Amino acid sequence: MLLELTGLSKRFGPVEVLSDVDLAIDAGEVCALVGDNGAGKSTLVKCIAGIHAIDGGTINVDGRPRGISGPRDAAALGIEIVYQDLALCDNLDVVENLFLGRERRRGLVLDDDAMEQLAAETLESLAVRTIRNLRQPVASLSGGQRQTVAIAKAVLWNSRLVILDEPTAALGVAQTRQVLELIRRLADQGLAVLYISHNLNDVFAVADRIATLYLGRMAAVLDAADTTQSQVVELITSGRSGSLGLIDTNGVRP
Amino acid sequence: MTIPAPTRTPTGSTVLDLVLRFRALGLLLALAVLVGATASVNARFLSGQSVRDLLFAAAVTVLLACGMTTVVLTRGIDLSVGSTLGLAAYLTADAMSGGVPVPLAVLIGLLVGLACGAANGAIVHFGKVPPLVATLGTLYVFRGIVYFTAGGSRVNASDLPGGFLDFGNGTLLGVPYLFLIAAAVLAVVALFLRDYRSGRDLYALGSNPEAAALAGIPAGRRLMTAYALSGTLAGLGGVLYAARFGTVDASAGYGMELDIVAAVVVGGVAIFGGSGTVLGAALGALLLTVIDNALPVLSIPPFWQQAIVGALILAAIALDRLVALRAARALRKKGSHVG
Repeated sequence: MLLELTGLSKRFGPVEVLSDVDLAIDAGEVCALVGDNGAGKSTLVKCIAGIHAIDGGTINVDGRPRGISGPRDAAALGIEIVYQDLALCDNLDVVENLFLGRERRRGLVLDDDAMEQLAAETLESLAVRTIRNLRQPVASLSGGQRQTVAIAKAVLWNSRLVILDEPTAALGVAQTRQVLELIRRLADQGLAVLYISHNLNDVFAVADRIATLYLGRMAAVLDAADTTQSQVVELITSGRSGSLGLIDTNGVRP
Repeated sequence: MTIPAPTRTPTGSTVLDLVLRFRALGLLLALAVLVGATASVNARFLSGQSVRDLLFAAAVTVLLACGMTTVVLTRGIDLSVGSTLGLAAYLTADAMSGGVPVPLAVLIGLLVGLACGAANGAIVHFGKVPPLVATLGTLYVFRGIVYFTAGGSRVNASDLPGGFLDFGNGTLLGVPYLFLIAAAVLAVVALFLRDYRSGRDLYALGSNPEAAALAGIPAGRRLMTAYALSGTLAGLGGVLYAARFGTVDASAGYGMELDIVAAVVVGGVAIFGGSGTVLGAALGALLLTVIDNALPVLSIPPFWQQAIVGALILAAIALDRLVALRAARALRKKGSHVG
């Protein structure tokens, strides 16, 4: 397993946001992470990214426990996160954004030609043809193009696990389809993808497995092929569906 | 796999690029028109002496505009540059009149500037104080220190070494040394912003601080660099001020910060950060200086000068806003029609 979370827990003061969460993701698969608002999806991502320190459990990468204490640590392990709010700099152009904070240099000076070429190659390898001019500021791109840049930024670094937090939330139908195709392509290239979404249609369109969080606990991790949307909806809303899900009544404590 | 054909409509970027490039061109054009009009009224405006005076006057403004640009790029502002200049000018002149060798006295001026800048950076970064408030505070603090040190006295030109004053008023092929220094600093800062990672980081910080943090950019160090640079250049400006005028009292550089901010804004550095160049800022500084010198020649009453500068600032900000709106509109259009 590329990434394996065991018994992960996290609290903010008295509030237990994640409790005893297990999840494993392998290379070449898209694992969707679903759950209601406040179920702990974003917190889980931030724990993996090293933005939040975990209070319990272990994070194994390649079967070895790792302490991830910041975005740089996560990046060093090949884990890249595409944030919901995109984290792009509007005034910088596409190439500058792709390499932000990790610019190529020749000696001490920035090597813009090399970066532009590498950016073009990366977009080519992702079969992205929607971005024509790599030197246009990101402010002038459409939502779908911006999302593409954000995703390309994540795969530029020999990354092995890409985490996408609601990548299609602000997109139209056609743009959403493009992004979903891109996600599928990432997995086909052998990357592991953790895909967070509210939209079950999108989830079923692209995911191999679906992990459902319910009030900070992992209700179930199911193969998408053997699952129906209504089962997932039940898991999201009540933490259980028939024999699936959390055994004890539900996550709500009296 | 279906991928819609790429958009062929002219994107907002070309418009954006044009306007942004047009900004530098527009400044040059305005400069040319102003100089041409003034020279046609009075040909002596283009005489060697007049141009020299202009370059003398522009030198310190250009210098400080370079520092201010790096700060404004990070969404900050440094209102304390006038006071820093005054402090550095007085301490340098005072040291020289007390017999300290010139190089050492110059170093004192630079270090004073550096210390002032570092103080600003520390207050803004560690104190999380908005730059406007922080540097407004240090504006008064630094000025207060000058008044306290000077205590009503002043350093006269006769107290300063002749060589230092000669340098301050000397020219090379008709160009003042002071302006050459400013031009050299401009070139160095321009290269720093364009070709170095820490320079680009300043744009990223001003453009989207959260994204910059997620990309692992050390915000604190970069902010300190920007404010320290601004302070040091203000210190250097103080040294040049002393060399140029010889007579330094506690009011040196009083009110100068607003001229610098005006130059930077007119020069196309977005006051919201993340966009602009030092070359633009320097052109802005040059334009304001030319206006300053041209109005008397055109026999326009001097109080119009401030109104014109004000109008230019408003025009510059309106232009920025227009560009932003156009970009947003282009974005909306694309978002709804194109996949």
